[in-house]
Order: sequence, then C-alpha cells, then structure tokens
Amino acid sequence: MAWITKNSATLKIDRREKPYLSDAIKKDFQERMFPRYPNKQAATIPLLHAIQDEHNYLPYQAIEEAAEFLGLPASVVLDTATFYEEFFLQPRGKYTVWVCQSVACEIMGNQKLVEKLSDKLGIAPGETTDDGKITLLNVECIGACGGAPCALVNHKLHENLNADNVEQILEGLD
Amino acid sequence: MPLEHPILLTRVPTPPWGDFADRKTVSYADYTKQRGYAALEQAIGMQPKDITEVIKQAELRGRGGAGFPAGMKWSFLPPQDGGQRFLAINADESEPATFKDQVLIEFDPHLIIEGIAICMRACQIDTAYFYIRGEYHHHRDCFENAIKEAYENKVFGEGSRMGKVNERWPNLYLQRGAGAYICGEETALLESLEGKRGWPRIKPPFPAVAGAFGRPTIINNVETLATVPPIVLNGVEWFKSHGKGRPEGAPPQVPASFGTKLFGISGPVKRPGVYEEHLGIPLRKLIEDYGGGLLPGKQFKAAFHGGISMGVLDANEYDAPMDFDIGKKYNNLGLGTACPTIIPHDVSMVAMARNCARFYSHESCGQCTPCREGGNWLYKILSRIEQGDGTMKDLDLLLEIASSMGSMPGTTICGLADGANWAIRTIVNKFWSEFENAVSKARFVSLAQVGG
Ligand SMILES: Cc1cc2nc3c(=O)[nH]c(=O)nc-3n(C[C@H](O)[C@H](O)[C@H](O)COP(=O)(O)O)c2cc1C
Ligand code: SF4
Ligand code: FES
Repeated sequence: MAWITKNSATLKIDRREKPYLSDAIKKDFQERMFPRYPNKQAATIPLLHAIQDEHNYLPYQAIEEAAEFLGLPASVVLDTATFYEEFFLQPRGKYTVWVCQSVACEIMGNQKLVEKLSDKLGIAPGETTDDGKITLLNVECIGACGGAPCALVNHKLHENLNADNVEQILEGLD
Repeated sequence: MPLEHPILLTRVPTPPWGDFADRKTVSYADYTKQRGYAALEQAIGMQPKDITEVIKQAELRGRGGAGFPAGMKWSFLPPQDGGQRFLAINADESEPATFKDQVLIEFDPHLIIEGIAICMRACQIDTAYFYIRGEYHHHRDCFENAIKEAYENKVFGEGSRMGKVNERWPNLYLQRGAGAYICGEETALLESLEGKRGWPRIKPPFPAVAGAFGRPTIINNVETLATVPPIVLNGVEWFKSHGKGRPEGAPPQVPASFGTKLFGISGPVKRPGVYEEHLGIPLRKLIEDYGGGLLPGKQFKAAFHGGISMGVLDANEYDAPMDFDIGKKYNNLGLGTACPTIIPHDVSMVAMARNCARFYSHESCGQCTPCREGGNWLYKILSRIEQGDGTMKDLDLLLEIASSMGSMPGTTICGLADGANWAIRTIVNKFWSEFENAVSKARFVSLAQVGG
C-alpha cells in the first residue's frame, strides 16, 4: 500500500563494516547510468534495483549509502524506496512467490493456488518460511492474464496454474 | 469485414494467420528483411512537422487508455530552444486484465523502437526513456537486447542515422519500474523517472510544456508508437481504410476509431491471448472468432471490456462494438486498453466489485482524500456485503462513495479515482438485483452509518 510509509521513528539500524553499495555498482552508475539523466536523483530507482538484486533486500544502511552516492538526503531515498512494492526493506525469502489476485486470475481460480501453496509451505500470504527460503505474496495483475491464474517466482513467470500443477513451481528451488 | 492482414502483429504469429507456438523475438536482421526501418528512412527524408501532420491526418488515437489524438499531442510541444526534449514510452501496463503491449515488447521490439525513433524525429526529441513495469523480467531482457541492436545499427547514439537533435545524438534508454500501478499515469511516470515516489502531478502545466525534468515531454503508449511506422509507410488513406470511421454526416469533432487494435482476451475462453482486429469489432465476435468462445459449460455474464477501470458490459451488451464510442453508447468509461476479461455466469459480481475495490484501495497513491479514503471504504463495504452482512443502505452508500470519488476534472488529481468510480458504479448498477439479493439475506445489522 503505497501511501502507508514505514515507521522510521523507532527504527533501529543494523550496521556493518562492509558497504552494501559495491564499487562495481558505483563504477557502472558513474560510467553508464548517470550520463542518461540530467541529474543524479533520476538514477535512484535503477540504483535501488541494482543493490537489491545483489542483496535480495534493501537494508537501511544501503539506503544511506545510496543517498550519499546520489548526493541526496537519506530521507529522500527512503521516501522513494518505501513507495514501491518491489523494494523490500526487510529481509525476505531467497525465493519470492507472487500469486496474482486480480480479476482474470480470480475468475480462473487463483484462490486454490494460494490455499495449496499456503498449505504446502505452512505460511500465509505475506509470510516467509522458517528456513528463510520462500516468501509468499499476493500481488495485483502481473500482465499475464491470458495465462491466468499465474504466479511469478523471482523472475520466472508460471502460467495456467491449477491446484494440481501449482506445486511444480516450487520444484528445483534450492 | 474481418482483418485481412495483421498490421501490428505482421511478424508475430497469431491466429488465424499463424500459431502462438511459433512466436519468437524478431531480431534487427529479421525486422529489416521485412521492410523494417523503411518508415524511419522515409521519416528522415521528411520535415518533422510533416510527420506530425501525417499522424494528425491519420487520426491515430492513443492506445494507452484515454484515446487522446497522438498527432495533436505531438503538436502541443513548444518550439525548440536548444535544451533537451524527452519522450517517455509508457510500458507500465499494469491495468488489471491488460496484457497487450507485452506481446510487442517480447516479440517485435523493433516495431516499437522504429515508432519511437519516428516520434523523436517528428517532435525533435533527443532522449527517450522506455518505462517498463518491474514485473516484466523476460520482456525487459528482450527489449534491452533490441535497444542494443538498434545502437549497433546506428538508429541511436553517436553517428545515428537521424543526426543530432538539439545538438545531441539521440538516445533511447530502458527504465525499469518497481511495482506501482499508479506509475502508468503519465505524470506519476515522470515523477518515478525522476527518482521520486510516483505521485501524479497537478495539471497544468501539461507534460508537453513542462514534463520530465521540467522540460517538454511527450508520453505515449507502446502500442500507439508501434502503429506509427505502418502509417508513415503506407499512408493516411490506407490507415483510415481500417477500423471504423465516424457515422455518416457527423462533424469532424466526433471522434473516429480508425486503425486496428490489439485485443487481449482473458477469462474462461478456449483460446485466451492477444489478437489484432479492426477497431469496432463487436465483443461477441472477438470472443467467438478469436477467443474460440467460452469454455464448455460457461455462459457469458459480463465482461471487463477494457481493463477494470472502464467498468463492465452485461449480457445485453455482448454485441457492443469495441471502438472509442463504447463509453457513451454503453454507459462505461470508454474503450480503455481494449483487453476484455470474460466473467462467466458462475462468478459473483459482488466478488468482482470487491476485487476491483481492493485493487484501488491498494494502488491509490494517497494524495487525494476522496481516492485514498473512498477506495478503502468501498473495499470494506463490499467485503461485508460479500460475507452476507450488508444492508440495502450499503448499496446506496457504495454508489455515493463511488460517484464522489472521480469525475475529472474534479475532486482528484488523476484518473485512478475515476476508474474506481466507474468500475464499482457500473457493476452495482448493471447487476443491481444481484447486489440486492446479497444484502437481503443479511444476518446482522450493519453498524456503519454515514450521513444519517
Ligand atoms: C491510474 C492510471 C494508470 C494508467 N496506466 C497506464 C499504463 O499502464 N499504460 C499506459 O500506456 N497508459 C496508462 N495510463 C494512461 C496514461 O496516463 C496516458 O494517458 C497514456 O500513456 C498516454 O499514451 P497514449 O496517448 O499513447 O495512449 C494510465 C492512466 C491512469 C489515470
Ligand atoms: S486520484 Fe488517487 S491515485 Fe490519483 S493522485 Fe489522487 S490519490 Fe493519487
Ligand atoms: S489478472 Fe492475473 S495476470 Fe492479469
């Protein structure tokens, strides 16, 4: 929910010595990304993606590092990061399973998928398995309505799912 | 007359001309073998304002939802002042039930890129951003690769065949969104592009005057731009021989529906998918001839005909022509994205309304009170009705909240609230007796009392 921002007043920030924002990413942004835009702030979302792709979530320290790199107050970068659903500010499972819940998928029986997955994984949507492997989430339309009901597992799209074949999407996840 | 040859899907195998299974990404080499980039060559030989004039004459209307005339939009740009001018291509495609642009992005990216290049030439734009929704991972890779090919072949970058614009070599960059429906709204898209939260801007100023980074900016949908090369190549008359003109004797202000359109069919049909047909094809024909009809045992009850924000058509309106006039004639918000989702007889309209309300309450950006609060209340009330705890009064309340949410220009900054309004209002009004039934069995007295 884009307009409910995280409560940062009581936030405790875990810090570590090694920066999250690697030199490789910095170099790539300086050479390839910054020249694309009239200002550095425009690189915020690509930068957050790059960091998250590496660490699977965005620790607060990483947000601070990104802000410093972009020459922005950390609050400004946090403001952007909290708005977008693809950015995770807390650790999540190694694999994220997003099950579409919009109209075409509901009509085609997405509820059965969620039930089956919840049952199998022992978690409700919004939760992560105890071993930290899988996070299960409901999402709105993922633009694959012709293959409803469908789900994304990290970057992989699975279409035409049903109660019988939905478990297949968990196969091969190590 | 059914469409003889596909125009947008020429290179993307699609029934009845081809088979879905044969679809694969068309490379630069394959694209040029099939007259690809010939339209760009032609455009390079034309005066920029003449290209805009062609698009204007063709009466190409935006395919992103609102149907705004593309040529007119292009002509709103102020004269060049030496500074940068931008094009933002809207590939956010997040409207529920909509999945048309992704077919072109995945399979024929160079058609889009050629359209982008022609638009940049016509509008004297030096920098374009292809804003693609975060969840299109495979599509992103396909498009990124096509951009690379385009650079290698001097469509963009140093030494571009278009030459310098505003003293800069033209560039096209892919920008990945991050999961927010609202970023499909054009000014939210610009905010997001600038690295901010996707909050729609109050207009004016319009983006053509002050858009991305405060500079003149054009925003067009993927499919709109993909329609540009065939128009430049084959001419205005040819384009206008497709689709549906205005009724005989109607003045030119009456909007026409020329050209073909991508239609993404979903729901319980035999062959869901993205097809191409003339604008104006009746919904029933689309579903039966292309979608293969409904699955055995399913009957047509209603359809979201163009994304949920346009509202629904009921069974009496199954023959509605899919053109830009559909809103006025059939009491909905419009053609929208022209991607129909079929609702079969055994799905409850209360559930569908609840699903839509949840979507809007979740996706509201929160700037405007009627939208932020209204969406939430619609969702709460509809959930209650669905559980059997609603009252007659709730139905009036639903309609009251819905209609106070939208109607631009009015109480809200952007059109999301209008979408919520039309989705809920058309469902409740067109299926009143179903809602009445749902509340007459209420087990509890509703505790909510708003406005006495
Ligand atoms: C809430 C909201 C969401 C929208 N989402 C999209 C979208 O995902 N893709 C799109 O092309 N247009 C979307 N639009 C319409 C755009 O604001 C804009 O009208 C369109 O991109 C202009 O392109 P066109 O004239 O070529 O259609 C949305 C509008 C609103 C109000
Ligand atoms: S109408 Fe809704 S989504 Fe649009 S700007 Fe207002 S609060 Fe945001
Ligand atoms: S409704 Fe599920 S992918 Fe579109």
